Amino acid sequence: MSISLDQVTKRYQDHPVVNDVSLEVSEGEFFVLLGPSGSGKSTLLRAIAGLAPIDHGQIALHGNDVTHTGARDRGVGLVFQNYALFRHMSVAENIEFALRVRRMKAAERRARRKELLRLVALEGMDERLPAQLSGGQQQRVAVARALAHKPQVLLLDEPFGALDAKIREELRRTIRTVQRELGITTVLVTHDQEEAFALADRIGVMNLGRLLEVGRPRDLYARPATRFVATFLGAANLMLARQGPDAIRFGDSAIATDIHHRLPQGREHEVVVVMRPEELEIARDRRLLTSGYIARAVVEEVLFTGTLERLRLTLPEEVEASRLVGVGTSVGASGSGEARLEVVRTQPERRTLPLQAGDAVVIGARHLHVLPTPLSSFVVCVEDSAREQELLSHPLLEQLVASMKTRVLVQQMASDHRAPEAGVAVIAGGAGAARRAAHMLATGANEVLVLPPSDAVPAQVGICWHGDGVRGATLAVGASLLRQLSAEAICLAAAPEGRRDSARGATLRRLLDARSEARATHGLEMRTELVAGEGIAPIADYIAALPAPMLVLGVTRATDVAGELAAFIESERPSPVLLVYRSATP
Amino acid sequence: MTPRRSHSVLPGFGITFGFTAFFLCAIVLLPLTALVMRGASMDLARFVEVVTDPRALASYRLSFGTSMLAAAINLVFGFVIAWTLVRYRFPGRRIVDAIIDMPFALPTAVSGIALTAVFSANGWIGEHLEKLGIKVAYTPLGITLALTLIGLPFVVRTVQPALQELSKDVEEAAETLGAGPFHAFRRVILPAVLPALLTGFALAFARGVGEYGSVIFIAGNMPGLTEITPLLIVIRLEEYDYAAAAALGCVMLAISFLMLLSINLLQAWGRRRLVAARR
Repeated sequence: MSISLDQVTKRYQDHPVVNDVSLEVSEGEFFVLLGPSGSGKSTLLRAIAGLAPIDHGQIALHGNDVTHTGARDRGVGLVFQNYALFRHMSVAENIEFALRVRRMKAAERRARRKELLRLVALEGMDERLPAQLSGGQQQRVAVARALAHKPQVLLLDEPFGALDAKIREELRRTIRTVQRELGITTVLVTHDQEEAFALADRIGVMNLGRLLEVGRPRDLYARPATRFVATFLGAANLMLARQGPDAIRFGDSAIATDIHHRLPQGREHEVVVVMRPEELEIARDRRLLTSGYIARAVVEEVLFTGTLERLRLTLPEEVEASRLVGVGTSVGASGSGEARLEVVRTQPERRTLPLQAGDAVVIGARHLHVLPTPLSSFVVCVEDSAREQELLSHPLLEQLVASMKTRVLVQQMASDHRAPEAGVAVIAGGAGAARRAAHMLATGANEVLVLPPSDAVPAQVGICWHGDGVRGATLAVGASLLRQLSAEAICLAAAPEGRRDSARGATLRRLLDARSEARATHGLEMRTELVAGEGIAPIADYIAALPAPMLVLGVTRATDVAGELAAFIESERPSPVLLVYRSATP
Repeated sequence: MTPRRSHSVLPGFGITFGFTAFFLCAIVLLPLTALVMRGASMDLARFVEVVTDPRALASYRLSFGTSMLAAAINLVFGFVIAWTLVRYRFPGRRIVDAIIDMPFALPTAVSGIALTAVFSANGWIGEHLEKLGIKVAYTPLGITLALTLIGLPFVVRTVQPALQELSKDVEEAAETLGAGPFHAFRRVILPAVLPALLTGFALAFARGVGEYGSVIFIAGNMPGLTEITPLLIVIRLEEYDYAAAAALGCVMLAISFLMLLSINLLQAWGRRRLVAARR
């Protein structure tokens, strides 16, 4: 492995900027770190370069642990967004800087410089000063300079950020050619998905300091595992649907599909479906569709963009439509039934069915992808409308809804009412919350979020479970939740102290197993913590001592909640609890 | 002197150059001319006698020597202070930043009295230094100290913006290319801030040469030993020997002008490449 990162964490003022990132980049690979600004991708790159010391984890380059090696001795070449050329030096002096530092002979230096300038197509520019060059040329010099000392790894930090579109494309091609010619392992950081697609052998998508998914561009685009990746890599329509044993149901229409992942308990389940704009089909009538019918819609906007036509469709506000809350990339969190879809058509398609705003159409999907995320939507369950606002404006719920771009429904129900049919039930904390949560779980809810009043978004998420049958589900829900929060994940278990070590050993093994499962299946890195004691009490104490905690708790019996766990849910210093329930009996 | 015909929001070359010429004449050149005229009112032999008097020669050496030394000290420590203020965030940074300007605001006589209080043979620090055999007050060392205090803000304030402009990326680039801290400083940072350092040096030096208030308290003013030229000029004035005072002033003027001019030329030489490139 050329670059290997193991659980790299970098904190800034106690806040993880890079959160438990593990990654392997192989020899000669062009790897692109993609993410929005503030996602920690640049910090991660700087950590690889040795410019940002890390708080935890290990970095190895070509098998050598360089975690504690300074940037000088890592043998990497780094290219900065703003070129960072030495302005008082000529192009030649800039490129030869690293060689001069290494006391290379003048003749050899010149030969190497000529070779590099040819590589970046800047022959004859030797004596120019950086200020006499255009932005694109300056960045070429920076690339040549970074390659002068034959580094084993080339790192590029948003190298095209300051350039205009045409130069950008040209430089992109140069960098790709240079990289191929030298066969040098390269990591490039960008926020531009088009750039990532054009350059990458593999892409790693980062958000909130976490490396969410890694894969080949094609795979990530076709089969994203998280809603963030689905919407960040190209446009995506996300819709809520019901997944049955062999079909996806949108309202009353069912589309048969291959289902890759197992359903919990065979119960019909709410899922999030990804439909790319180019995979949606538009027709005048349901019978004319060649693909599976989804819904009727009205054309809201037609946008001609040259090669393609972009359409925005509104799904009418009806009972069946309100079920399929579409969430396009352009639309924020849409809580109402007013859902929009984005469709892209080619010119031949446009000619066979010309459309304009106001036309009524039907849409079908040629291809569906079901996100393997256990969290789909939220249903706020309140007894009276007074609590409604309090819960809706809870910072945690607001953050989750905004980040997941999902739907929140409000249901007023008596405390003994059955649980809502789909989504995560959200209830208020405080007295009676445990009993109410237990009732929800007993009447069909799979996840219940208990929210005591708070003004902060959790910064530490403890994950633990009661009974091994719910471990997988708890980890899946925990991972899904943590993708939406910039928080630290802690996997917790309790084992009594002082007794024979075998009990502790077994618990510790279970913790480590869970950690590797979380990493392998969900890409989630967790810290493990073994607390002394038995049952839920020591875990509750541990959690309560954290600055801004929250707990994801898996249970196999609904009665556990009302009994033993009540103390935790209704404690003096309560924190949000997300209960995950999977019945122990299959 | 042909103006460059480029459009600008502010009024054109004619008006601004007119103002420049007028102000320079009225405020700088006219009084200086008067000084030279005054000096020229005596005959050449007398002029030479006054300005080459051993007491005068000693005062030049002292004035220019201590100013040069103080400016050099400030060059080093002013740079360090500016570096600290620009590159690090620490509690009280704003306060330190404000303290730098104190010598600007303080009447120089006050600084002189304060320094004397601390460094005289029975002052807080002076009494300990005395035991070590180091005398500060009433020696050239004391004068240098006073001039260092007075000149510090000039270096810090000119270097600070230059360092701020120097992006941290540039240092990091040098580091990833294998340069050690010394090499990075010598080859990358220093060349970038050298023009600003020279300006700061020139300003601190010029200020030191003209300084009077803070020095006379700590200098002790022994003729030939710790008597600075400005003081000698004042003494001549008190003797109503205006011509001699003006003659000494002329010499100071000439030396200062030559030194500042050479620093400016040095700067222009160092900056030429960058300036030419920016066109």
